[in-house]
Amino acid sequence: MSELVRLTDVTKVYQGGITGALNGVSLSVEQGEFTAVMGPSGSGKSTLLNLIAGLDRPTSGSVLVRAMDLGRLGESGLARFRRDHVGFVFQFFHLLPNLTALENVLIPAQLKGRERADARGRKLLETLGIPEVADRYPAKLSGGQQQRVAIARALINNPTLLLADEPTGALDTHSGDQVMDLLARLHRDGQTILLVTHDAKLATRHASRVVSVMDGKIVDDALLDTTERPAADVVRVRGEESSR
Amino acid sequence: MTAILVKAITDLKRRRIQATVIFVTTLLAVGTGTMALTLLSQAHDPYQTAFEAQQGAHLQVAFDSGTDPRAIAGTAQLLGATASGGPYSATSLEFEAGSRKFSMDTFGRADPGGPVEQLRITSGRWPSSNDEIALTRSFSELNNIPIGQKLKVVSVAQEPVLTVVAQVVDIDEGSADLSSQHAWMLSSAIPAVTAKNSAFYLMTYRFATDPSSAQLQADVDRLRSALPRGSVTGSINYILIRNVFNITNQIVTSVLVAFSVFALAATAAIVANLVTGIVLAGYREIGIMKAVGFTPLQVVAVFELQILIPAAAACLVGIPAGTLASQPLLANSSHALGLAYTPTFSVGLDLVTLAGALLVVALAALVPAFRAGLLKPVVVIANASAPRGQSGRGLRRFAARLRLPRPVVIGVGDAFARPARAVLTLVAILLGVATITVALGLPRSFTAINNSETNAGNVDVVVHKSPALSDADALAIINAQPGTARVVAETGENFTVPGIGDPVNARIFRGDSSHLGYMVVAGRWFSGPGEVLAPKALLQDAHLKIGDHFNASVRGSAVPLVVVGEIYDINNLGHSLFMDWATLSAVEPDVTPDGYLITLSPGASVNAYVQHVSAAQLDLLDVQPNNTSIVAPVKIIDTVLLILAIVIALIGVGGIFNTLLLNTRERVRDTATLKAVGMSPRQVVAMVAAAAGLIALVGGIVAVPVGVGLHRYLLDLISVSAGNDTPPAAYAVFGPLELVAIPVIGVLVAVAAALIPGRWAARTNVVEALHAE
Repeated sequence: MSELVRLTDVTKVYQGGITGALNGVSLSVEQGEFTAVMGPSGSGKSTLLNLIAGLDRPTSGSVLVRAMDLGRLGESGLARFRRDHVGFVFQFFHLLPNLTALENVLIPAQLKGRERADARGRKLLETLGIPEVADRYPAKLSGGQQQRVAIARALINNPTLLLADEPTGALDTHSGDQVMDLLARLHRDGQTILLVTHDAKLATRHASRVVSVMDGKIVDDALLDTTERPAADVVRVRGEESSR
Repeated sequence: MTAILVKAITDLKRRRIQATVIFVTTLLAVGTGTMALTLLSQAHDPYQTAFEAQQGAHLQVAFDSGTDPRAIAGTAQLLGATASGGPYSATSLEFEAGSRKFSMDTFGRADPGGPVEQLRITSGRWPSSNDEIALTRSFSELNNIPIGQKLKVVSVAQEPVLTVVAQVVDIDEGSADLSSQHAWMLSSAIPAVTAKNSAFYLMTYRFATDPSSAQLQADVDRLRSALPRGSVTGSINYILIRNVFNITNQIVTSVLVAFSVFALAATAAIVANLVTGIVLAGYREIGIMKAVGFTPLQVVAVFELQILIPAAAACLVGIPAGTLASQPLLANSSHALGLAYTPTFSVGLDLVTLAGALLVVALAALVPAFRAGLLKPVVVIANASAPRGQSGRGLRRFAARLRLPRPVVIGVGDAFARPARAVLTLVAILLGVATITVALGLPRSFTAINNSETNAGNVDVVVHKSPALSDADALAIINAQPGTARVVAETGENFTVPGIGDPVNARIFRGDSSHLGYMVVAGRWFSGPGEVLAPKALLQDAHLKIGDHFNASVRGSAVPLVVVGEIYDINNLGHSLFMDWATLSAVEPDVTPDGYLITLSPGASVNAYVQHVSAAQLDLLDVQPNNTSIVAPVKIIDTVLLILAIVIALIGVGGIFNTLLLNTRERVRDTATLKAVGMSPRQVVAMVAAAAGLIALVGGIVAVPVGVGLHRYLLDLISVSAGNDTPPAAYAVFGPLELVAIPVIGVLVAVAAALIPGRWAARTNVVEALHAE
């Protein structure tokens, strides 16, 4: 496996913030990994994801994805990077309400200049189990369906890296399980996934690696399904964090 | 009340750009409206004031020199005039001032006072010897002839030299740029400057009350009946002079009023749009306001105040600015009448403007403000944001079929997502583009009309001949020039037309006059004796139409005429006749031309030609290049139109800017999502610009025919006020490419206006926008 993401001594301080959202974080993600970033609210896990997605810039340190230093890219370069290399799944789906499900899915492809991506868009919806929603508007879809549409949108350009920020946070348990099963299936097919969640059970059930973040620092980094760290151990760490 | 004020002011501070849009658009609309109202309230006063102050003549009548002066003097009693002046001995004087020659009716008068037509001396003193002359200030200023200037009289063989000793204001004649002018000398001086056949008498009458046009016509008819045939050779009444004086103000005021209504309508549309946008964007906040105890009416008051505060501030600046801007036009009127100019304003009028503007703005804000007041707090807090607009799917599909880039397709789909907002924006754009179309068209129409009136392009040189020089000698000089291609001789004569009180000035041509370039509204140019053309006003007042035969008379001789065409001619507000030389020579065999309209051969130099002809006869010919310049009043109208077009176009730009601002703010999360999935800043700008461009395109496509229609309407209005129908050529001033270019330029301007909100949208912080759930 080769290294896909490398964060070196990354600090992020928000305007007016006294303490950083991230404080000197270094992290490496290999191609094909399913990594869960876990931590309580305000721990800095979403900030970490945003920096890797090129949605935000670090105050210091460097973020490299596929050996590209995101700090050296301008706004247009970052937009191209997101379009070509990253698929992002949000907690609240963020589908464009004026577009149908299929039109939402196709947007990244069309922004890339691939105007004839209809077939792939429909195929993705079919793969994700929702071919019938293609021509429906988001307001007419359930939360689970909307999140699958969002995943299809994230996958339309064959991204190197799929980033998911609390993808089940706005869903009921059943829909959440379906979405996580879907991500696991994508991982089995070779997709590199970086998942942010505060749900330890969710993280340990599907991810092969769990990175625990607290107060802007990585406090634990565990490879699961190995003899090194059993899942229960990671859950215990999470439990300790919560009790502080 | 404090809570309402605090909330309204806090919101205003937060929405500085929207407040600025309201301030600027209201300022422009109120400024224009104030200017119009100030002019409207003052436009008729200066002339009336001066007319009363100077005991203006209701009627001036010219009598043939053969008429008994005692009989003329007795006509005052015959007409029941309360006061009269004259009979003044008069002559048509030709004089040379520097290198220029002028012809002017000059009257013998002992002093400038008297019971009628008092002359107001603005500079110098009244003539006290036979070699002194008084001119109108209007003429002196137009031709730059100061007090003390020597004038050589060239219409008599002795060529006496006169000194200008006075500049006067005469309420009984129009300004020099629109009308022929009078001059005055001592009565004893008149015989020495009177050429053969140029003498006449003038009598002025004033009545107890202002007579109507019909009464004045009856008076002239009574004079004709009472005196020997041919005694009355000309007349003019105060109604025509007043109309000529007021026409510029009336046109400017009409245009200003019409366009200030436009400006206010556009501002109302923008305000309604703005408040609707604020309500839509502030759903959750409105819910919270109501939850903490604001009543529906208090919510309405908060929104109304947010609009009324910047609007009131705009009025405080706009009303004085509009009053100030109207002063030059008022000063111009006062100056022309010799009245002392004092800055004019009316507190009452200003208060009416203030109340009116605030009422319009408040009404525009009322519906969306009430909508906000009626929202149910639980629902809006739970929903957090306003209902989404239309999908715009049809437009997107259409744009996609055109294979436009995706950001443009999305922008096109967003353009009409909020139909009411789009319609209100369209109103602002429509008014802006329509005004620009009018501002583009009217000056061209004026130029076309001016070219017709001045024979521009068809006559290169105009030669005025002194009566002392024979027609044959003048023609010999002109025809001897190698550059002469065509010569049309011209003279003027007053005809009596049945149904028309004042004698009608006829322009009589010898030679190929059909190529002079006069605009024929209907019918054809005359082709033989007895055939005449006349403008609408004459035809209407004389109950004539094309094909009608009627009997006119000139110097007591009957002349049978037939109307063969309707012509455009603003002289005497559409009371003139155009005819062939043979028509007049049949009754006046000795008639000679006053001047010659000369067309030069291609390549001939106008200046060289003028020099050669002048040199050939220095004293008795006045040779000038044809003056085709546009008269000052038309320039004023053109300028006012241009300013109005800019003002309303700016309001239109403000409208589209406002809409885009609301759209981009309302869709900040959508934009952030698009950026998150890879839309580049440039593509975001393109998306916003596409929405603007489409609205502007639709607005432009609707506005161009509206503008062309408005141009026709205003042109007709102006033509009618000048006693004419609009000639077809004056309508046809827009090229097909231009009509396409106008909406295209509108699109470009809208796209430019979209750059600022577009760039704001492009700079959307994705993380902040998407996490602000």
